[in-house]
Amino acid sequence: MKSSFWSLTTILIFIVFVFFMIIPIISLFTGSFQTEEGGRFTLDNFTNFVKYPSYWRSFSHSIIIGLISAIGAILVGVPLGFMVARWNVIGKPLIITLSTLPLMLPTFIAAFAWIILLGRGGIITKYLETVGIQIGSIYGYPGMILVFVSQLYSYVFLMTLSGFGSVDESLEEASRSLGANPIKTFIKVSFPLVLPSILSGALLTFMSAIENFGVPMVIAQQTPNLVVKAYVEFTSEVSKHPGMAYTLSVVLIFITMASLIIQRYYLSKRNFIQAARGKPAVKQLTPGKRIAASAVIYAVLIITLIPFFVAFVLSFMEMRGPVFYPKFSLQSYIYAFERSARPIFNTYFLATVATVVSVLIGVPTGYILTRRKSIYSNMLDIIIMLPFVIAGTILGIALITFFNSGWIVLTGTWMILALSYVIRKMPFIARSSASILYQLDPSLDEASISLGVSPMKTFYKVTFRLMMAGIVSGAILSWVTIISELSSTIVLQTPGWSTMTVEMYQGIISDDLGKAAAFSSIMIISTIIPLLFVTKYFSKEQTPLL
Amino acid sequence: MSIRIVKLTKRFGSLEAVKDVSLEINTGEFFTLLGPSGCGKTTLLRSIAGFNQPEAGEIYFGDKRIDKTSAHKRGIGMVFQNYAVFPHLTVYDNVAYGLKARRVPAPEIGPKVEKALQMVRLGGMEDRLPNQLSGGQLQRVAIARALVIEPQVFLMDEPLSNLDAKLRVEMRSEIRELQRQMKITTIYVTHDQEEALSISDRIAVMNLGVVEQVGKPWEIYNTPVNRFVVGFIGTTNFFEGEWASQEGLVKVGGILMKVGGGSRPKGEQVAFAIRPEAFKVAEQIPAEERPRMFGLEGKIAKVEYLGFMTKYDLELSPGLNAKMVSYDVLPRNLRKEGELLEIFYDPQRVLVY
Repeated sequence: MKSSFWSLTTILIFIVFVFFMIIPIISLFTGSFQTEEGGRFTLDNFTNFVKYPSYWRSFSHSIIIGLISAIGAILVGVPLGFMVARWNVIGKPLIITLSTLPLMLPTFIAAFAWIILLGRGGIITKYLETVGIQIGSIYGYPGMILVFVSQLYSYVFLMTLSGFGSVDESLEEASRSLGANPIKTFIKVSFPLVLPSILSGALLTFMSAIENFGVPMVIAQQTPNLVVKAYVEFTSEVSKHPGMAYTLSVVLIFITMASLIIQRYYLSKRNFIQAARGKPAVKQLTPGKRIAASAVIYAVLIITLIPFFVAFVLSFMEMRGPVFYPKFSLQSYIYAFERSARPIFNTYFLATVATVVSVLIGVPTGYILTRRKSIYSNMLDIIIMLPFVIAGTILGIALITFFNSGWIVLTGTWMILALSYVIRKMPFIARSSASILYQLDPSLDEASISLGVSPMKTFYKVTFRLMMAGIVSGAILSWVTIISELSSTIVLQTPGWSTMTVEMYQGIISDDLGKAAAFSSIMIISTIIPLLFVTKYFSKEQTPLL
Repeated sequence: MSIRIVKLTKRFGSLEAVKDVSLEINTGEFFTLLGPSGCGKTTLLRSIAGFNQPEAGEIYFGDKRIDKTSAHKRGIGMVFQNYAVFPHLTVYDNVAYGLKARRVPAPEIGPKVEKALQMVRLGGMEDRLPNQLSGGQLQRVAIARALVIEPQVFLMDEPLSNLDAKLRVEMRSEIRELQRQMKITTIYVTHDQEEALSISDRIAVMNLGVVEQVGKPWEIYNTPVNRFVVGFIGTTNFFEGEWASQEGLVKVGGILMKVGGGSRPKGEQVAFAIRPEAFKVAEQIPAEERPRMFGLEGKIAKVEYLGFMTKYDLELSPGLNAKMVSYDVLPRNLRKEGELLEIFYDPQRVLVY
């Protein structure tokens, strides 16, 4: 009857996820316990993981880099978030827009640009050498941490910002009225209330850092993390232990899953920020302090955005070999369009197809999660969490292996790329749809039904209309992030279906820097214009970044 | 359109929100479901509206059984607790929404919407968006939207609970007025007993999923059928004691109180209730009533002065207190704490259980 439409949709979404995501990932697990030849059960891969330093070191690289990056993001993001939330610093909307940019732009562009600035033959390095200053190598840990902190601090910043902005003012006033001074109030009341938000942001930083493929590949080939190691094992023809790619993937999934579960458990008892009555007052600083605080914030923003500026400028410079000359030229673009027009088309095509499919599946999923609660919707809720904990590269490996043979062969087609994008972005659309629906009163639907409009028509005339703005901005954000996706694309791309990120990555590792710079700029523009559009037309909507 | 509900049961998991409820509501009647939160009144209303599917029982609109009919085909008008005015539509489009869904010819829609808006005193607000309206105005839009489709049945789910006290009192008389004009069968849900008493033709008092009593407001107030109804409607003094040897007297906390309506064997337990306004001081009692009255003496433990009335808390004997109210506002008749006060009541007005 009236619920059968949604039951059917639930079942359909289930099938899609089970078949296209869960089974491939399960086969990754079983693969890690199998011998290469006969497919017999073995623990060899796991003993090898412990036995060979090159494997377990990749584990420790992942963890150490992830933790240091998260701590760095807290050190940068929390003070910034507090200042923007509570002080009258100059240009808050601008600060927030600029701080979201690094999250949207590919991190490996930043790695690439920092090498050009601070690498062995880097612009700044050379300049400092002429005045007699030696800076250490940025390859390896220092470079990775620099890139991750400067590109991912915003997770902590934005969470802290909304946290400090929504602490119930009367709680702080109560503390003051009981005799605590402002500093003590901050330590005893405000900070503990915001801590869960800060830790959520730090977890996002940690996960993004350990799931990252491009940055370690560009800047830290000597200290590969689990993702890079799994990729190398998977693609290398001469690997001694081919099953290791699966094992490394499983180890990584275990880490991300465990950290997510720990965070959920922690948060389940500390959901403080609910019904803030009064928003806390913004402190009016003296003009001197106001300018000083703003200067600090803009300095941080500039440092995080420098790489993209550098890449943009370089793309208009003349190239001779891997060296840029300070002379305006469109040579890099001409070269990029002549040689790689197809990847540009591919990128936009794949991003658009994947976004449309993600919306078509994600919006009804969000509806089921909020309005058709049942044990199935709870299971769906858990299932759509999975893509968050599975690194793109790992998902790529799972998909390419599973769809290589069997009933449906997708390996080597563009569809497998689109599939991986849908799996990774659909949950985002579903979550943002669900969060919009949570704010929409269900009695709006009922009012429409009571006035004689059927449930399905009501969904279209009322619910969908009210969700529209949120869906459009969610879709644009998905589109933008798909464009800069490298980690699964690098595994799944095939000749003829290369993308801009792949071309750029290959440009960087083969010292074809002009091409890399040109593609970087195209991507930066393709990201910023839609983002400005979203900010301009949908600034009222609270769009969750995850 | 009359409404008949037959042995209706609605469960949520193991919880029986509505248990075997049967009701008959007459054409044009203003019928209220009254009870504390969680008593099942909203669940019952939503079953009638078609927003939940009862596990057992039948619902009839007139002679037509409708409990299997989809909600949008039941021809109801409903007003929701939080208004549920569509935020993306103007006042005009909100009110026209149901007419369009019914494919009313376009030229007829305008006049109907205008008339409905005039009726709720919102003329001139057609082009406003809901976020430009106050809570009271939103509620009027919701009412106009539900009534413009000329529903057979009008359902209201705590429509006034989000309004402030003064507006609530105004709106309820407006709602009553509209309902009388349109002679539309109305079911109204509220937890506010004063609202229910003032607005309804008849009231069903609900508790824990069952209907405890159905009756006109004065029946519910004056002859409540059980302890729940007595306690829920108005303020009441409850007494527990045992029958004494003398006819009609009950021993309560060391004193004797007279209870009308027949005696029971000595020593048997009895519980009864007396409304605070049933207690009177000697000078308020007309001479012809005096012989019937039974007198008690109490010490005033607390005085609460409310202007139009005064509440007294009397200690009848140690540990046995009773509330009474007095509408005698003359300053010279005000009593002070600690004073002794002689009060009288009519044993026939005592409610025995």
